[in-house]
Amino acid sequence: MLMDGLFASLYRRLARRRTLLLIVTLLLWLVSLAAFTRLELEENIAAMLPESGTARSDLRLLERAPFARKIIIDLTAEDAVSTDALIQAADRLAAELPRETFSRVVTGPDGEAGGNLVSAMLGVLPNLFSTADAERLSRELTSPTVRERVNDSYAALLAPEGWALKQILRYDPLNLRQLALEKLRYLRLVPNAQLSDNHFVSSDRRHLLLLAQTPLAVTDSAGAVALEDDFFTAARLVLPDGIKATFLSGHRYTLANATAVKADLWVVLGCSLSAIAAIFAIFLRRRQALWVFLTPVLVLTTAACAVALVYQPVSAITLGFGAVLLGISVDFAIHVYYALRHAVGDPAVALGKVARPLLFGGLTTIGGFAVLLLSDLPGQRQLAVFSVAGIVTALLLSLLVLPHLLPSGAAQIVSAVPRRSERNRGGWLLVTGWLVLLLLCGWQARDIRFNGDLRALSLTPPELRQLETQLAQTWGGLHGQALVFSSGVGAEEALAANDRLFERLQTVLPAVRLVSLAPLLPALTSQAENRQRWNDFWTGEHGQQIVATLQAEAARLGFSAQAFAPFSARLHAAIEPITVDFYRQLGFGEAFDALFFAEKDMLRTLTLLPDSPPVLAALTTIESDSATRLVSPTRFRSEISAAIEDDFLRFISLAAVLIVTLLLLLFRDLRKVVLALVPVVSGLLGMFGVMATLGVEFNLFNIIATILVIGLGVDYGIFMVCREDEKSDLGTGQAVFVSGLTTLAGFGALILGQHPALYSIGVSVLIGISAAIPAALLVVPVLSRRWLK
Amino acid sequence: MRLFLAITLLVLLTCSPLVAAEIEPLFQRLEAAATNVRTVTSAFTQEKRLAIFDEVLTSSGRFAFAKPDQLRWELLEPVKAGFVLSGDRGRRWHGRAGTSESFDIRTDPMMRIVAEQLLAWARADFGWLRERYQLEVLGENPATLKLMPRTGGGFLDHLRIIFAADDTHVQQVEMHEQDGDATILRFSDATINQPLPDATFRN
Repeated sequence: MLMDGLFASLYRRLARRRTLLLIVTLLLWLVSLAAFTRLELEENIAAMLPESGTARSDLRLLERAPFARKIIIDLTAEDAVSTDALIQAADRLAAELPRETFSRVVTGPDGEAGGNLVSAMLGVLPNLFSTADAERLSRELTSPTVRERVNDSYAALLAPEGWALKQILRYDPLNLRQLALEKLRYLRLVPNAQLSDNHFVSSDRRHLLLLAQTPLAVTDSAGAVALEDDFFTAARLVLPDGIKATFLSGHRYTLANATAVKADLWVVLGCSLSAIAAIFAIFLRRRQALWVFLTPVLVLTTAACAVALVYQPVSAITLGFGAVLLGISVDFAIHVYYALRHAVGDPAVALGKVARPLLFGGLTTIGGFAVLLLSDLPGQRQLAVFSVAGIVTALLLSLLVLPHLLPSGAAQIVSAVPRRSERNRGGWLLVTGWLVLLLLCGWQARDIRFNGDLRALSLTPPELRQLETQLAQTWGGLHGQALVFSSGVGAEEALAANDRLFERLQTVLPAVRLVSLAPLLPALTSQAENRQRWNDFWTGEHGQQIVATLQAEAARLGFSAQAFAPFSARLHAAIEPITVDFYRQLGFGEAFDALFFAEKDMLRTLTLLPDSPPVLAALTTIESDSATRLVSPTRFRSEISAAIEDDFLRFISLAAVLIVTLLLLLFRDLRKVVLALVPVVSGLLGMFGVMATLGVEFNLFNIIATILVIGLGVDYGIFMVCREDEKSDLGTGQAVFVSGLTTLAGFGALILGQHPALYSIGVSVLIGISAAIPAALLVVPVLSRRWLK
Repeated sequence: MRLFLAITLLVLLTCSPLVAAEIEPLFQRLEAAATNVRTVTSAFTQEKRLAIFDEVLTSSGRFAFAKPDQLRWELLEPVKAGFVLSGDRGRRWHGRAGTSESFDIRTDPMMRIVAEQLLAWARADFGWLRERYQLEVLGENPATLKLMPRTGGGFLDHLRIIFAADDTHVQQVEMHEQDGDATILRFSDATINQPLPDATFRN
């Protein structure tokens, strides 16, 4: 009663200053609009990752994968096209691509190492001579093997290629170069690529790989348009018949998503606006009722500014989700509209009566959303502030400003659900059917699955999915490998950690193909140990015996005494340790930069492994080294799934406790509380049950939709219970029905969208609200008649 | 003294390489003869005079060529080894080890060099040769050429190529390396345009 009087009194006072009230409201909105346009927005998915655990740092590290930020260009040739023609076409395309969008295009290794590679690698072999190498030489270089290798050298010198091999054979009659060259396999970032004329060519020689960089941000959809235009224009210009080119980068996904959302919006907005226009024409019919639909627009800017006061920068994702949630604010306005239209006599009295359920509904919704403040996801916390501020603003607008813009008086209103029909004799049959459906949905809901894959939140068009598959088949695993980072404050520390990692990987996963710098660039201390090992080997008994056998066999075949003098000299020559520059000069700079880089104050090396369960299981042992960090896309996805599931269950539980507590405080009657919860429980169980039955996975967007269903469902329940309780009807049934219809028109229409985000929200809201409305309008009255008699 | 100078000048002039204007007709003559050659088979002996051996290494084998790009190079003594090439792809074998492996000259730079050289000589491809070598005619009958690499840095100092009297094929190739080593290939028992079974270029 106190509340009724307070708002009735406020209405009367403000009615006398109506013009001033509207001017102040307009000014406040303009200020919030100005602030809104200056908001610093952050388009980073990290806002939706849990802060605890390793997900956020994992995501940052996953972006360090060699091809994560690269543009991968694939040229495909028909059978009639020669490899030379393919290579020439690739060079022309690389030259034609504009530098504004393709700042750097790599056609192959930095330089043509050619024959220098063999002698260069042979020259540094002592620095790389591991324990395994020493064991291998001890095992392999027996007297018969040495004889065989000298014979091989002799035969090679007679063959045509002997012209080019002569110098190499003088330095390496025992084929030790094989040991050095095999280490280069650890540098194969593109597993299936072969080098042809210093270009990356597939094994069937029908594909050629180019790698490019761009200054355009991956989220820049306008830039993505330019990128695609520039690429396909250049390809059309320079590629001959029989050769096609395409590319894959994050930009193409951004563009595909932006295009899909735009296309969806036309369909969704068209349907949605048509449906809302129909609702307006059938149920509201008054010009002033248009103010009702302006409420969310006014609320949006205010809520966004409130978030900016607490958090900087504001997550763009939060704003997107928040805009969806504020659909709830239109419901408050609809209830005020119906209350005033049903007012008999003084509209202040009608407003006073509707204020109570409105505030109850608002408070419980605020309570529900406030629970998100405890979320582990910073974006969700921003969403909580946004929603709470939005609902407070919506309540203030609906109770203080809107009544002065709406007509009052008992006009003829089309009743969608006449009260009489709500109390028909088949009520208990209806309740029984409802209970059965609820139990069925509850049973099915056990199978609901959570999907934490961030990629599931965005659209991947079939052509890009096909391209991903084709690239994976042609080139091997360019993406999706497990990454192991070894870190240190300096190069030496990082490389030493990398050496330890490699050693352990050789023990636990000896047969697994991996990419690592350790065999090629050990830490300086390891290199010194390797040189010592090399020296010990050749000055040792076995080494001496190998040299003696070599000399004897060489003499037998007619080699001169000095034939292998360079080999003997190199065995004991003092050599300098190797650094990254050595490999840069050989043309491996690009690969080394991808695997060895500075980050903040640390230097990191990167090791790549298959991201498969057996490998991950074996890798758990390596995580005991504090300098080593494993980041697995598979594990990342499962952690996100678990985090979202945990967060969601916590949210549901806490929101339930808070909402029930608030309802108890407000109604002080357990029966009324149970009745008020009927729509929300129906909506949630219906949503979970149907989604589980249809096999629709639960993702981040469904969670946001769930919050909307909770907020609206509780409101429906409170309004219906208040109506039954007060024995007076201010058009509550119609208001609930119309607000439900507007929600379905506004958000349910999203189900027509092709984009996963729109579809996910649409499907959840459609099912949830479709279950909540009948429960509110049909089940609550039947139960109320019995319980509140 | 004047007579001595005149004789010396005369000898130098007659023995000196032909001037440019006289080179082209010879190349045209060799290219014209090569145009009619579809296949060549011959035996060869190879002498390697290498500093790393105390003695001259002598080996022998057989060579076959079919236009446009098929080759067989086969050492028979003292070791059995060789390769066949058809287009870009080929196979080489090592008789002593009993192993063989396929190769592709587009990805095997060493075999590419070998194949390109042999094909250029067999086809008398002076366009290709002139791109890479400075050509000098040392004699016309038989046609004798000296080829000096245009780019330095390699192991080769120069090549000396002697054609058969009928210009249809190469009779001798000498490769002189910068360190003084040399390889001399002598082709004999050549047969021209005899049909060669496909198996010649497969192994």
